[in-house]
Amino acid sequence: MKDLAVIKVQSDPKYLSVIRTVTVKMGELYGLSKSAIEDIKVGVDEACSNVIKHAYGGDHRQSILVRYKMTQKGFEVLIEDHGVKVQPESIEGRNLDDIRPGGLGVHLIKRAFDIVQFVQRKRRGNKLRLVRFKK
Amino acid sequence: MEIEIKDYQGLKVMALSGEIDMYSSPALREEMMGLIDQRMTPLLVDFRGVSYIDSSGIATFVEGLKRMMSYGGRLKLFGLLEGVKEIFNFSRLDKVFEIYGSFEDALLN
Repeated sequence: MKDLAVIKVQSDPKYLSVIRTVTVKMGELYGLSKSAIEDIKVGVDEACSNVIKHAYGGDHRQSILVRYKMTQKGFEVLIEDHGVKVQPESIEGRNLDDIRPGGLGVHLIKRAFDIVQFVQRKRRGNKLRLVRFKK
Repeated sequence: MEIEIKDYQGLKVMALSGEIDMYSSPALREEMMGLIDQRMTPLLVDFRGVSYIDSSGIATFVEGLKRMMSYGGRLKLFGLLEGVKEIFNFSRLDKVFEIYGSFEDALLN
């Protein structure tokens, strides 16, 4: 078996704390620094919140699959849903100097991960690939 | 997350504890906007027990601040732990919010 872990949770915001806990644990297992773990915890949480908000339109009865693995490149997280297709160009965050509610999550994801990429091969739903390079 | 509203010499202090995320921020929003709609000022928020905040929590405070600014109210945050403070800094909101180290600092400034 590959060196990976997979969790599947209902798309209910109450399970975001479970995802954060597992993300922290995986970061520790893979030997990431404390600050890197803090970053990836926030980044994965924001990405999963986006799935609930945008892909599922707030529907709490769906599911989110999160896979963690260590590759030669670094720490990789794949987040899958079967909701509405997200247009990658639509995930630009707001200008940080423009002070208003919303638009911050994308910046927090990009701060945590060197690669933030939607895998386009998926016919239904979305698969977001996040990679933090080994430093 | 838990929310406790305390009175201190006629001032309202909203003491928060736990994690503020997409699950808990609606309750925070409701509680905070309830106070703001009473034109409370200043409103002090005790962050000492908050271990985590995400973008939905930040958005709630930005909305609250904007609403308070419309009537000249002041929103004062104090006791932010390092990880939480870092999110405010990264969001460039440390310049927008009144952030204090302690309750006493928030009270006196």
